[in-house]
Amino acid sequence: MTLNLLVIDTSAGTSIAILRGSDVLGEVNVADTKLHAESIGTAIAQALVLAGLKGSEIQAVVVGRGPAPFTGLRVGIAAGTVFAQAVGARLFGAVSLDALAWAALQDPELAAKVSTRTPLLITSDARRSEVFWALYTGLSSNGVPMRTDLPAVNKPAALDELLIDRNVDAVRLDAHTEVTGPATSQSFEGAAIGTALGRVAQALLVEGELGHDTSALYLRAPDAVLPKPHARYGKAEYSKPVLAGGGSTSNSDGGSTASANEVGGAE
Amino acid sequence: MSDLFVGEFGLRPAVEADLAAIMTVEHECFGNDAWSEANMHLELVAHHTFYWVATAQLDEGTERVVAYAGLSKLPGGEQSDVQTIAVAPEFRGRGLGRRLMNRLIAEARRREATDMFLEVRADNPVAQALYASLGFETIDRRRAYYQPDGVDAIVMRAPLEPINSQPVVLGIESSCDETGVGIVRGTTLLANVISSSMEEHARYGGVVPEIAARAHLEALQPTIHSALAEAGLTFADVDAIAVANGPGLAGALMVGVGAAKALAAALDKPIYAVNHLVGHVGVDILERGEVKSPTIALLVSGGHTSLLLVNDLLDDVQLLGETIDDAAGEAFDKIARIMGLKYPGGPEIDRVAASGDPKAVRFPRGLTLPKDMAKHRYDFSFSGLKTAVARHIEVTENTQQAALSDQQTADIAASFREAVVDVLISKAVAACLDHNVPRLLLGGGVIANARLRALAAERCAANGIELRVPAFKLCTDNGAMIAALGAQLVMHGRQASDLDFGVDSTLPVTTVQS
Repeated sequence: MTLNLLVIDTSAGTSIAILRGSDVLGEVNVADTKLHAESIGTAIAQALVLAGLKGSEIQAVVVGRGPAPFTGLRVGIAAGTVFAQAVGARLFGAVSLDALAWAALQDPELAAKVSTRTPLLITSDARRSEVFWALYTGLSSNGVPMRTDLPAVNKPAALDELLIDRNVDAVRLDAHTEVTGPATSQSFEGAAIGTALGRVAQALLVEGELGHDTSALYLRAPDAVLPKPHARYGKAEYSKPVLAGGGSTSNSDGGSTASANEVGGAE
Repeated sequence: MSDLFVGEFGLRPAVEADLAAIMTVEHECFGNDAWSEANMHLELVAHHTFYWVATAQLDEGTERVVAYAGLSKLPGGEQSDVQTIAVAPEFRGRGLGRRLMNRLIAEARRREATDMFLEVRADNPVAQALYASLGFETIDRRRAYYQPDGVDAIVMRAPLEPINSQPVVLGIESSCDETGVGIVRGTTLLANVISSSMEEHARYGGVVPEIAARAHLEALQPTIHSALAEAGLTFADVDAIAVANGPGLAGALMVGVGAAKALAAALDKPIYAVNHLVGHVGVDILERGEVKSPTIALLVSGGHTSLLLVNDLLDDVQLLGETIDDAAGEAFDKIARIMGLKYPGGPEIDRVAASGDPKAVRFPRGLTLPKDMAKHRYDFSFSGLKTAVARHIEVTENTQQAALSDQQTADIAASFREAVVDVLISKAVAACLDHNVPRLLLGGGVIANARLRALAAERCAANGIELRVPAFKLCTDNGAMIAALGAQLVMHGRQASDLDFGVDSTLPVTTVQS
């Protein structure tokens, strides 16, 4: 495959890679997980310089869809979507956890341990003491990580129970250190995954399975609590008056921000 | 999901294969005046001519040419000519002529033409008005030019600005619940497309930051697409990118900033990170060509209530005061909810208040007592007012042992609105008088409130203050204001922002550019 492929993933840090066939033309990784908006432009520009390419020479863009903390994840998806739009490149989405699985399975020793009965469990920090996770049974002949299900989010204890229920004895890898898994876990560097995600995308393309869906894998609904139906201060409840009809003639006020006690943290 | 404000017409360079479709429109439009197919063919393939077609999407995969326009520009020459422009009759009145003309102007400027000429039938006032609005002036008249009808031709000419003095800037705004993309050329508005997630927030009674950020991510690509289409431009015509990086909701701002930076990197164009609130002031440029300074600016929305002293748009903007609790728009939303009205509260309270007496209840004016005025002369507070309204409703209902009547509801709405509007305008006018500034500029979504505009007009007139209220679509959050401010920075020779700027949810107004 000789496409100039730009990969953008902000599921952990900010990771940019430009691949053509088996060559990595440029790769920029910013490990900080709170500087996506700051890093994204410079990282893309630097990767293009390293690759010796102009933006218009990028023919396809792959964005990492997570799952990952939302705020940072969106920065990469927004950047990749608009980059592809600007240069007329084809736009694809891939699951970020698949890149971690792909990278792990490059280790022959580890790959030898992984099977349907002993799948690879990739976890990453989902905050709120939860982890995003997915199970893999190995690589396909084209090198695509074979994921058993869509990624999910759970508390580590609930995940453990779930695996016991499935009678699965997984090889565990954590992408982050914030959530400490069971003692059997090995630590795993998850920030620099752009190139790995690119390899997954190339393999998926060979299989005709690389999708155009670039939507973020949030896996959680936005945290917002519906306001109490009646917010009057008085204790008495009288039937509501029927207001004079007539359509609203003026436009929106722009909307106010729901107050803190009604809206929890986003992630 | 998103509401986009323009129809889906595509614009692309004409190719030889379009000849038959172009001739169909040519005959529909010009009848016995039409060019021959042979002549049109020569026009399409010549090296010094540039033809564009507008296409409508009929159904899956089928497009139809519905308009076209052609430009002639000889290499090395300074003059460019509009060869022809035509819009099929059933597609007129949708801005296609303007889009195609903008397209030709961009093409001519890129090819370093300094003037553009055209001829138009003397009996076509609609076309003449369009050209005049694009900067064309009548310079000559040719008698009986159009035959066999014997109609005169009006010759018009427009000077074309060089690219760097009239930069095309694409601006992105994502600080709250509106995804805005605007395009300007210098001080001229070319496109202003807004996609709002307001309806998704309605059931929560206020903007939910995570919902707003998710909506931005979905809306950005189509909103950029629509803005370019509305302007009749392509990415290649864009000279610079501008983006709001604060103040606002951090997670929402980051979506716009990420996209803007990717655009800058993809197109290798400079990027300008600009202040959202100063953008609300700068938008006046698009209607008056400049922001007359000094001016006092009162910016009132669901997220902000700020009073600014603008001595110079790019170099000297000061915050005189702001709300110390709720924004004014937020107060409208909360009171609307207490009264059982819909979200957003502003238009609802405006509607109910129409038949009410604003003097029926004297609600408190926040931070207007002498002791407050010493410390908070230009600050606002609406939380006490909110409590007072709630308390009043409770006492009234308990006393009469019945729910409010329609008239009572209308009176409370009108009295509440009067309290908000009175304190906003009083403090804004006081700022004008204190600083000896004879101008007041209004901005923000709450400007939609009819009573606020009326009272501002009344008090400004009484005090000899010139009042500026931009068109409503430029008052609410929008990308055009960001583009307009960005274009000012380019035109004043300012350095582009470094690509590694971040977002700042509390960015001070003194930082016009990050």
